Amino acid sequence: MRIMIIGGGNVGYYLTKSLSAEKHHIMIVEEDRSRCEQVVSDLGSKRIEATCGDGTDLECLRKAGIFNTDVLVAVTGHDQDNLTACQLAKNYFGVKQTISRVKNPKNIRVFEKLGVDSVISSTERIAGIINQELDWTDVNKLLRDRSYNVRLREITVEQGSAFEHKCLKDLGLPKGLILIAVLREDQAIIPNGATCLKAGDMIVIWGDEADIASTFGQRVYS
Amino acid sequence: MYIIIAGCGKVGASLVNKLSEEGHDVVVIDRDENNFSRLGSGSNCMTIIGIPIDEDVLKEAGIEKADALAAVTVDDNTNIMIAQIAQQLYHVPFVIMQTDDPEKQRALAAMGLRTVCSTTLTVEAFFTALKKGETE
Repeated sequence: MRIMIIGGGNVGYYLTKSLSAEKHHIMIVEEDRSRCEQVVSDLGSKRIEATCGDGTDLECLRKAGIFNTDVLVAVTGHDQDNLTACQLAKNYFGVKQTISRVKNPKNIRVFEKLGVDSVISSTERIAGIINQELDWTDVNKLLRDRSYNVRLREITVEQGSAFEHKCLKDLGLPKGLILIAVLREDQAIIPNGATCLKAGDMIVIWGDEADIASTFGQRVYS
Repeated sequence: MYIIIAGCGKVGASLVNKLSEEGHDVVVIDRDENNFSRLGSGSNCMTIIGIPIDEDVLKEAGIEKADALAAVTVDDNTNIMIAQIAQQLYHVPFVIMQTDDPEKQRALAAMGLRTVCSTTLTVEAFFTALKKGETE
């Protein structure tokens, strides 16, 4: 894919690095000349083109290759610049997909309503993970306080693990363990015996603490 | 009319003064309190200190009941974002914004935004004056 990245700060830099490693063609636009040159000298590859300029300027976008762009990703530190870049790309240049970072989580809704295809807020992502973590912790604290030995655990199915590609009925879970949910991408699957696990799935287990430990290994949780 | 002016620079402040003189209800937003000193002493408009692309700030300014909004901050992209929030999310009946890039003005017009381009206006004024000078 041909991906245009607006903004060569930390996010833009590492995005360029990882996407070009996956054989994508990257066109990065950064306003600061020295930062721009640094990206090229650090990451220099045939698959990376850098343009020094304002990613919300029409001429700059043309020069950077907007007409050959499949996806535009806006990751500058300013929400208004990210929105403008996405909108010009989509509505004026006909780029099919736009992805934007927002600094202010309140802008997620605004960006989505104004037509940006995917909106990412690291603040909200982190807050979400923390909240989720707290929820489990609260449940488990309650159980521990009342001296029950059952726990609720979240376990990730690692690539190459013994559980990958297995259906639930073939997992051989001990009687006391219940697998209540499989979280896959945006979906929460209520599993049955025929549900098969994939790498990256997050499974939620309810059961005896000792059974969880012996089945899934002690190292999975502390 | 209930009018919101986003940005209290030279353009914003003059606009606020003219509109309040005509008896409109005017609210002006700027992130820098010092900019409100540009407003005339007789101006009885409401002032709000805040980032005008923040939806909560716009709500505080009364965007839900505004008849018109003008986005005249010094930053084009900020103006674009404010104008789109006003027009598409809050359906403010009349929205207008300032840009200094004539080409962007055409792109924004294609996206349904009403703009005033300071560069275009200035060039036209010079052009007309020069033409007139030529024929005198």
